[in-house]
Amino acid sequence: MRMVNLRVSYNARRLALGLAVILVLGFLLLPGQLQSVFQSIGSPLGWVISWPLQAVAGIHDRIADIWGRYVALQGVEEENQQLKRELDLLKEQNGQLREASAATERLSALLEFKRQALPTSVAAQVIGRDIGNWYKTIILNKGASDGIQSDQGVITPAGVVGRIVKTTASTAVVLLVTDPNNAIAGLIQRTRDEGIVEGTTQGQARLKYIPLLSNARPGDHVVTSGLVGGFPRGIPIGTIIRIDKEEEALFQSAELSPEVDPNRVEDVLVIRSFPLPTEGERLSVPKPKP
Amino acid sequence: MKALIYCTVIVGLVPVQSVLLSHLSVWGVKPDLGFVAVCLIGLIAGELDGLLVGLALGWAMSLFSAQDLISSVILKGAVGYIAGLAGRQVVYLSPVVLVMGLLVVSCVVGLVTPLALKLSPQQDLLWAAWMVVLPQACLDAVIGGAIYWLLWSRLNIEQVMSESRM
Repeated sequence: MRMVNLRVSYNARRLALGLAVILVLGFLLLPGQLQSVFQSIGSPLGWVISWPLQAVAGIHDRIADIWGRYVALQGVEEENQQLKRELDLLKEQNGQLREASAATERLSALLEFKRQALPTSVAAQVIGRDIGNWYKTIILNKGASDGIQSDQGVITPAGVVGRIVKTTASTAVVLLVTDPNNAIAGLIQRTRDEGIVEGTTQGQARLKYIPLLSNARPGDHVVTSGLVGGFPRGIPIGTIIRIDKEEEALFQSAELSPEVDPNRVEDVLVIRSFPLPTEGERLSVPKPKP
Repeated sequence: MKALIYCTVIVGLVPVQSVLLSHLSVWGVKPDLGFVAVCLIGLIAGELDGLLVGLALGWAMSLFSAQDLISSVILKGAVGYIAGLAGRQVVYLSPVVLVMGLLVVSCVVGLVTPLALKLSPQQDLLWAAWMVVLPQACLDAVIGGAIYWLLWSRLNIEQVMSESRM
């Protein structure tokens, strides 16, 4: 079998090689400008690639569905019984929590969150994972043409998934909350201590810069603080599983178990905008409703 | 024809890498099919083809990753160019030698990548070497070696290499 050769003259090869060298030098000398130019030029290319990407993702979902329905049913009954027991327990806990929350200030905080949690959001499906090993990301089937931009927050009903870092016309890349390069402003729900949530290399998350005097403890819930980033206040991030307090350190940190398992997430909401509270609104005492 | 093959590789590799390879990862590490493809193209078709396909593939892959454009484009382009130069120096290349070569080059590229990406302090060089670079290099070498062995056993690879470089 012979490979058909696209013959080019020696001069054309030299010209192409020269252009490629100029391009590489351009990247080194003008990284920011060229990157934004190529990012915008790449949008149509991304659109072209998104077709086979969505086709492969569709086939993959179909096969996974068939596998899940017919092949991987071993142990489902036992799992079902266990889930029912857990559901009963959760129902009981949920009732207790509802009763307690009705009598405390948390109700006002919840109402405040409810007001904030009505942003315009876009539903999107996960169609792929990061193509490399250096970042933990997912690829969504909605992009710039749906109003999605960088730094917008991505959530599920269970909690925070991550934030948008890159978009093409029809896809978006989400840096997960478990990625060590991600940073989200977080708040311990019980103690109201703020910090920064970062991912860890073990696939968990860590709340950093907790004040030393904080009495945070394992089991406390961490939510978004709504100060910076694309999230309104009060979206669950994770639950503290361990407090790390080093001697002579200025702050303590806490290891979190994320509320959302990023490896299993399939459908998400992208928060396009939400009313950011002013400093005055944030610090003021919540007003009682008439 | 060659341009069509290259376009198919560029457009087809991204879906395969992002959708299917997550199921084939070993300890959470996936092979970099883009790296393998660029190496083989550079080796077989020469440094210019390797460089251009590397630049284009790096660009396309960066659109679907958090990795920045510059590092992706330059690293893939450089790999294609170096593979082309290496291919010019050898007359006969057995699959075993190719596997060893891919292992070494993937390790070198893998160690350069975290420096280029300015990753989190948690992802230091030692972590990168043990948790990502070495496993990925092994996977790259095995997959690259398997593809080359298929080509080598079915085609007269030396003739294809010499014709492609003309």
